[in-house]
Amino acid sequence: MALAFKQETFRNDYQYSNSPNAIKRFPFPFAEDQYMYSVNIEPHIKGKQGTVCEFPFDVDEHYVGECLDKQITLDLDRGRYKTLPHMMDAQWDFVELTMEALSNDYPEHFSLIKDGLNWTWENKPLNIKQSFVFGDASTMPMDPFEFMSRQVQGDFVLLDQRDETLYADGGFVTSQADWSLAFDVGMSWREWHAPVPRATELGVMDRALKYLLNLQLGSPVRRLNWTMTVNPRLDTSPENYPLWGTDRNTVNPENVADKVHLRVELQSLFRLPRSNAIVFSIRCYLMSLKELSSYPRWAKRLHRVQKTMHPDLIEYKGMTKFHPMMVEWLSKFDDGAAMDLGTHPE
Amino acid sequence: MERGYWIRSKPVYTSLLWHEKATSHLVVAQSQGGMAVLKLFQLMHPKQAITVLYMPHAEADYSKTLIKVVPDGLQLLETEQEVLAKLDSVLHGMCMGMRLYIAGSEDFMWSVAKVANKFGIEDAGMMKELTGTLARPIYCVHCKATTHGVTTNIGECSGCGRMLFVRDHFSRKLGAYMGLMIDAESPGELPDIEEIYP
Repeated sequence: MALAFKQETFRNDYQYSNSPNAIKRFPFPFAEDQYMYSVNIEPHIKGKQGTVCEFPFDVDEHYVGECLDKQITLDLDRGRYKTLPHMMDAQWDFVELTMEALSNDYPEHFSLIKDGLNWTWENKPLNIKQSFVFGDASTMPMDPFEFMSRQVQGDFVLLDQRDETLYADGGFVTSQADWSLAFDVGMSWREWHAPVPRATELGVMDRALKYLLNLQLGSPVRRLNWTMTVNPRLDTSPENYPLWGTDRNTVNPENVADKVHLRVELQSLFRLPRSNAIVFSIRCYLMSLKELSSYPRWAKRLHRVQKTMHPDLIEYKGMTKFHPMMVEWLSKFDDGAAMDLGTHPE
Repeated sequence: MERGYWIRSKPVYTSLLWHEKATSHLVVAQSQGGMAVLKLFQLMHPKQAITVLYMPHAEADYSKTLIKVVPDGLQLLETEQEVLAKLDSVLHGMCMGMRLYIAGSEDFMWSVAKVANKFGIEDAGMMKELTGTLARPIYCVHCKATTHGVTTNIGECSGCGRMLFVRDHFSRKLGAYMGLMIDAESPGELPDIEEIYP
């Protein structure tokens, strides 16, 4: 089934919404009434048809809009793309992984023709056709990693494995929840997770690292992460904090359900064959509280999760200013009755 | 400050100690860092080749003593640019097994580290001792300028003029703390500015 790509904007006038189908398949992250960090990593295996995990890289109705937004952000700040020189093998690994996945899973939109090392890539929704020699960067219009990062929804970080840790030695990051690639590039696992409160005490980061150091080729893994964002803005970067910081002051009890969005990251990690690096894919899904409440079970669950949120996490996730309003709005969906475990909408 | 608070990506600086199995030693110091160099030589005068680059400062000048303690291998320099240029040329002639020791302000140490990085010397291969001042280099995440020697909790960016606070994050590659505009959400509202990194 061909996807109907929407015309959308993720800044200024915010022309963004989810179709009923997009709401239904939204990766709602809360299976329980309370939330705390955990090493919630699971195999990134093929999910049911139509779900966001059906394929390694999910392409949905927001594809064209998100790719255009990536380009705008990168044009305004070239620092959103950076790789260290020793990551060239990993760049090609990424090209192979994404081109093969998209052309295999969405053949009506993407095609890849291989003749030995002479490859031809076609991306119909973005109107791109490129012939190149695999492994020869001079035959590409830009870095191979940049070329494909522009054409897949989400952010991508290339992790180099050495000294028993992972280094963030490359990335294409335009839709981040308040972290800076320009600042973090070249950092080790422990360094770049330094600002996350409580995670160190819980031992979460060390356990996750141990797991990832043993990640196997062909057995990718995934986890969900979440935050709340005011307006459907992909570029909530620290770089542009002066642009979006004041948005938090615009939330009031009347507009809270339209303004405040649940922002879920489907994070997946793939071992790469030539470089032995890992690509960390961070795919962002946005849904307003109003859209979310079309499934009252979700609204009820989110109410409980938010009501019992640890104060450090409210602060870290930047929710302080609108948190009480959000809890108040969600409370009308909560009848107090016990809920079964699970993230299902109905 | 909240109890138990610390910046986890902040480097831990120690006292300089000789690596006994080095093939040669390169010591780079500034101002009060001269004392750290003297402490090193009080411990031992290594057999291997030694180069010391030292930049005295009006506040602290150990050059007279250093000339006596390190009669050969000492080079006195007047400005940081001179130190970094000299370091660059010295590193060109260095072989594997050389060890690098740095003493001075945080700004100075990471400027030296940046030059050493170009020669493939990784952070773990350099020893650093913080001396003289706690002043911090702050990288403005908005305009990408680094403001040097910030002694206050909030500092004005030398690039864009925004008032920056330090997020709990340090980058070894940039040699600076992460600075974010403090009044982005409430323009003009600034907390008291205090000197807490003298």
